[in-house]
Amino acid sequence: MTQPFLSIRAVRKTFGAFVAVHDVTIDVPKGEFLTFLGPSGSGKSTTLYAIAGFQDPSSGDVLLEEKSLLSVPSHKRNIGMVFQRYTLFPHLSVAENVAFPLRVRRRPDAEVKRKVADMLALVRLENFADRYPGALSGGQQQRVALARALAYDPPILLMDEPLSALDKKLRQEIQAEIRRIHRETGVTILYVTHDQEEALHLSDRIALFKEGRIEQIGTGEDLYLRPASEFVAGFIGNSNFLPAEHLETAASAATVRLADGSILTGLKATRPFDKGQKVRLMVRPEALSLTPGPASVALAVDIVDTAFFGDRRRVVARTAGGDEIDVRPTSDAAEPADPSASGQRIFFDPASAFLFPA
Amino acid sequence: MTAFKRQSFAGLPAGSGGAVPALLLVGLFFIVPVVALLLRSVTDPEPGLQNYAALFGSGTYVRVFLNTFLVAAVVTAVTILVAFPVAWMLAIMPPAIGSIVFGIIILSMWTNLLTRTYAWMVLLQRTGVINRALMGLGIIHEPLPLINNLAGVTIGMVYIMLPFMILPLVGTLRAIDPMTLRAAALCGAGPFQAFRRILLPLSLPGIAAGGLMVFVMSLGYFVTPALLGGTSNMMLAEMIAQTVQSLLNWGLGSAAAFVLLVVTMALYAIQLRLVGAGRPGGGL
Repeated sequence: MTQPFLSIRAVRKTFGAFVAVHDVTIDVPKGEFLTFLGPSGSGKSTTLYAIAGFQDPSSGDVLLEEKSLLSVPSHKRNIGMVFQRYTLFPHLSVAENVAFPLRVRRRPDAEVKRKVADMLALVRLENFADRYPGALSGGQQQRVALARALAYDPPILLMDEPLSALDKKLRQEIQAEIRRIHRETGVTILYVTHDQEEALHLSDRIALFKEGRIEQIGTGEDLYLRPASEFVAGFIGNSNFLPAEHLETAASAATVRLADGSILTGLKATRPFDKGQKVRLMVRPEALSLTPGPASVALAVDIVDTAFFGDRRRVVARTAGGDEIDVRPTSDAAEPADPSASGQRIFFDPASAFLFPA
Repeated sequence: MTAFKRQSFAGLPAGSGGAVPALLLVGLFFIVPVVALLLRSVTDPEPGLQNYAALFGSGTYVRVFLNTFLVAAVVTAVTILVAFPVAWMLAIMPPAIGSIVFGIIILSMWTNLLTRTYAWMVLLQRTGVINRALMGLGIIHEPLPLINNLAGVTIGMVYIMLPFMILPLVGTLRAIDPMTLRAAALCGAGPFQAFRRILLPLSLPGIAAGGLMVFVMSLGYFVTPALLGGTSNMMLAEMIAQTVQSLLNWGLGSAAAFVLLVVTMALYAIQLRLVGAGRPGGGL
């Protein structure tokens, strides 16, 4: 493998006795859109700040094209960053904000002018050049911040929850803008968010953080379809978890006994389990249906509630063991004939279910 | 301040009858004496502008005016230079420690002015603590002239004016999001560039407010210049006191006081215009 563009090597950050980041190692190829996803306090922002130079890691190294960044102060790292809060300079106009990084680099006026025009065109704010930040909406301010961060063609763009202060519709709009800008500029982007939908929508790869460690890193599909742990399965998308007992695994197809005594077979084990070991069975709501498929197994349930959501139905079922299960069949699937009748069954393909250690 | 300007010039809003006692108070204790002062300056000893003519015609008085502005300007400049780092430290310090430092600054304001000025006399005189310490350390061989001159006045007055500069400045600096400075750093601005292009422009409203207050207070200052200054750099307030008390020339004293008042009001009007009609975001 060729040398990675950006390399985060065993970065560790402690605050007193608290370890915020445990030896995180990631290699980022040039042009990748990599997202650090995780709940708050999982160490994703701390890792980003180590790259930005706001917090020196306690140990480990950050290399850009094989040169360590750690001894380089923030203002010489040549990294672009968009922050969670609006950090435009309030006393400067939109154009002056975008020009700022070029002015401090003492670039010639003609170049500054041209670049500012290019950047404002990139974020589609050409007509706002003379406005002041106070006269812009939150979404517009973040687009200006993006233009400012890209004005000096930084090799890496860091984005620290840039959309978290915006409402949902605006967020989706700007996500599309960010995708387009990533496509058009080819800049390497490290993006921090706690919103899994945002991560799935934007990223080439996602690093899912948990308690200062990377739980899993891979494409959105990897994390959604092949979660490495119960945490990943629970964080990315919706999941149902049922307690079960592992009976045996043959040819990577596992057999378990559920709390109600029913036996399910042909399940995917994420690792070897012992006989009798307590496990958790995970199945996605959209993998469950009310009608049997060619290879499906069945669960006996009571139907608690049904609702119609346009593209999908939502059915809440309860197992004899008392566990609630969320079922999301497509809306063309038939509704249960009589939801209140007992002895209902829901079905799923065992190949779409996973077993995790309890 | 903008709101104050609007209210006082655009007339009183309906139902502001509750303001009558306050207006009476201001009228009785501020406007009436000022009008009396103005009248006195043009009637004492006889009607006419001879007091103003004497004031502006005499080299001595003009020198006192110029010296007053010089001292006020130097004091304001030095106060800004000393206050800025202190205010910045207070703004970024953990609140617990910050409030202790704040308390020390406020406490100094509560100590009697005369006491503090006499303390400086003890420290600054030829055989004072500072000169003796420096000579004892062998840094100087002759005592430095620290008192009865511009240096003495500046030191004494800067010390007294500092809180009036620090307080508005801390407010302005605290309102600046530290993330803005991080953003500036990542944009490539080193510490000096970040200061000059971001921090300084953003703190200008605080510097202007504090600076004007210090300048105006310095213009009319009496005790400290009288005790720490020399005869060659007399300030206006001291001159007025002498004119009235020793020379019993009430007309001339009133004229000088009125000129001082007009200058002060003019400066205030300029500041209102600068701050009130600032650029968007300039008030942050």
